[in-house]
Amino acid sequence: MNLVRAELERLSARRFVQLMVVLLVLAFAVTAATTLAGSHKPNADEMSSARAQAAEARRDLEATHQECLARQSGTLPADTDRYFPSDCSEIDPIRQDRLPIPADYLPGVFNFAEQAQPLLYFLIAFLVLFGFLVGASYIGADLTSGGVVNLLLWRPRRLTVLAAKLGTLLGAVLVLALLASVVYLATFWVIGQAAGLPGRLDGDFWRSLGAVHGRGLVLVLLASALGFAIATLGRHTSAALGALAAYAVVWELGARLVLEIVDARKSDLFMLSSHIGAWLNGGARFYDEQLCRGSTDFPYCEGFYTVTWLPALLVLLAITGGLTAAAFAVFRRRDLI
Amino acid sequence: MSAVIEIEGLRKTFHSLRSGRRVAVDGFDLLVEAGQVHGFLGPNGSGKTTTLRALLGLVRADSGRMTVLGEPSPELLPRVAGQVGAIVESPQFFGNFTGYRTLRLLARAGGVPVSRVDEVLDLVGLDDRGDERVKGYSLGMKQRLAVASALLKDPRLLILDEPANGLDPAGIREMRDLMRSLAANGVTVLVSSHILGEIQLICDHVTIISRGRRVATGRVDEVLAGHDRHELLVRVAEPERAVELLHAAELTAVVDGGALVVSGVSDPTVVSRVLGEQGLWVGELTPLRPDLESVFLELTGAYEHSSVPRQVGDSSLPQGEAVIDLDRGVDA
Repeated sequence: MNLVRAELERLSARRFVQLMVVLLVLAFAVTAATTLAGSHKPNADEMSSARAQAAEARRDLEATHQECLARQSGTLPADTDRYFPSDCSEIDPIRQDRLPIPADYLPGVFNFAEQAQPLLYFLIAFLVLFGFLVGASYIGADLTSGGVVNLLLWRPRRLTVLAAKLGTLLGAVLVLALLASVVYLATFWVIGQAAGLPGRLDGDFWRSLGAVHGRGLVLVLLASALGFAIATLGRHTSAALGALAAYAVVWELGARLVLEIVDARKSDLFMLSSHIGAWLNGGARFYDEQLCRGSTDFPYCEGFYTVTWLPALLVLLAITGGLTAAAFAVFRRRDLI
Repeated sequence: MSAVIEIEGLRKTFHSLRSGRRVAVDGFDLLVEAGQVHGFLGPNGSGKTTTLRALLGLVRADSGRMTVLGEPSPELLPRVAGQVGAIVESPQFFGNFTGYRTLRLLARAGGVPVSRVDEVLDLVGLDDRGDERVKGYSLGMKQRLAVASALLKDPRLLILDEPANGLDPAGIREMRDLMRSLAANGVTVLVSSHILGEIQLICDHVTIISRGRRVATGRVDEVLAGHDRHELLVRVAEPERAVELLHAAELTAVVDGGALVVSGVSDPTVVSRVLGEQGLWVGELTPLRPDLESVFLELTGAYEHSSVPRQVGDSSLPQGEAVIDLDRGVDA
């Protein structure tokens, strides 16, 4: 416990951590201020007009669907000027993810229910970067400066010292991420109430937002552990940054290109970004034209495949867990010079 | 006396793609007994710091046996870590922290009462600078802070690697007094240094390492006595004639400057008698005692062109393996 307290003091005293927190607050303040400045509470006329436009848009969707069905069944002659999908269910309003709502026709009005999720994604992206960089610099700087050696002279238990550092990092990042996201969402909720629209905040909304939030926090912790592990393995903060840059360029860009050239099937499965997206969104669909080659379903083969959140999480856990275990194993035997 | 530090046959080799295989410590032995202030001498790259790092579990020895306060190290070092204060090279501290906060942090991590921080700041002479940021400290002040961190635990054993680094003459003197005071209070001190005069003043025992091997060990006076060539500095009116007379008496003498250096003489009265009988009266007759510096240079410099330095107590040594210098990154 003493070790964790001491580590917490060291972590919070790091200039880099303080800088990242300031950047977080700044980004948060700028986003909130611009949202507030660009939004207003709609008056009755605006609301009435928006409701009418949304209702008309829904009617248009229904009419288009009905027309599609009619032309498919031959009740109406084919119209070459208008495009209709071969499968009319694709434009069936009932099967759409969302239907037009009045908020879509209220320009300059912030709608919390509509915007909360994209705002949360932005925060999670920042916190993932924060966790990775802070995790890497926390151990990297200590290894370079001799801080770890100094600590080991006091507590000559390598695994305990490293575990205390990682545990402190993850705990601190989790608390900061929780606090930041609660304050962040609460601020935009207040903006929605006072200078925009709160939107439809029913149980489904909060469940969906809570799920994204929870998955986002897991991603932040995984990124923190990953930065920590790579910097431990490479002895420097720059090792983590270099590994990240090298992975992005060599694998996500280079290897993706090569996989496309050699017509590899389901090449997105080899990309970490696919699994991050699938985990964060609860699943992701990817297109691969290779899937339809030689398919007996042609021309009905869509060429899509899905990655669900569970395998995506397992991939992320395996990579982070593997690198973290390797970092502990290497640190246990490494000469600290 | 009981052994506080025992090292037997310590061997450590570093491997790197660029430099290949480098033997840092080659079968090194060290014995430090309770109550000693033990000097650990060696040129840069001789293996001092590697030895201390291995003893403290910071590098893994290839072979050898080490104990600290009776416990095998590094396996059971945690059992006695609370009684061992150590600094290895110059530890880096957070520049943004004050000296006080730096020590408080270490005290918390090590389960030491925070009240001890003020005591050690006072001991190293930083009591009035403890509330200043470390980045504003001079090298000497940082070194004092490092020593203060080693003293926090009120240790039974203090291991100091080059504690006088960066200290001015007054600081060196204070450090010397501090070590004497600690030793007087029963703290065993192992201090590595290349400031030989300091070691001679502070330490009662010394071990000299060269190219990873022990080349001398024992009480400081015994080590010096072992290298006493029984030389005398003699001043007379006619040095050249005096040399002839001494040669005739089967003594070895050379003219050095305006004086004579007579060697191999156990009884100085022989010189004054031989010269006096021929009417040459001795103006000065001073025994030339070796100091630690000359012994150090003899022991470490004499082996510059030899592949393997002789280890004290060894009658034969393993052959066929060249010991080469370390780079400063490994053992500065």
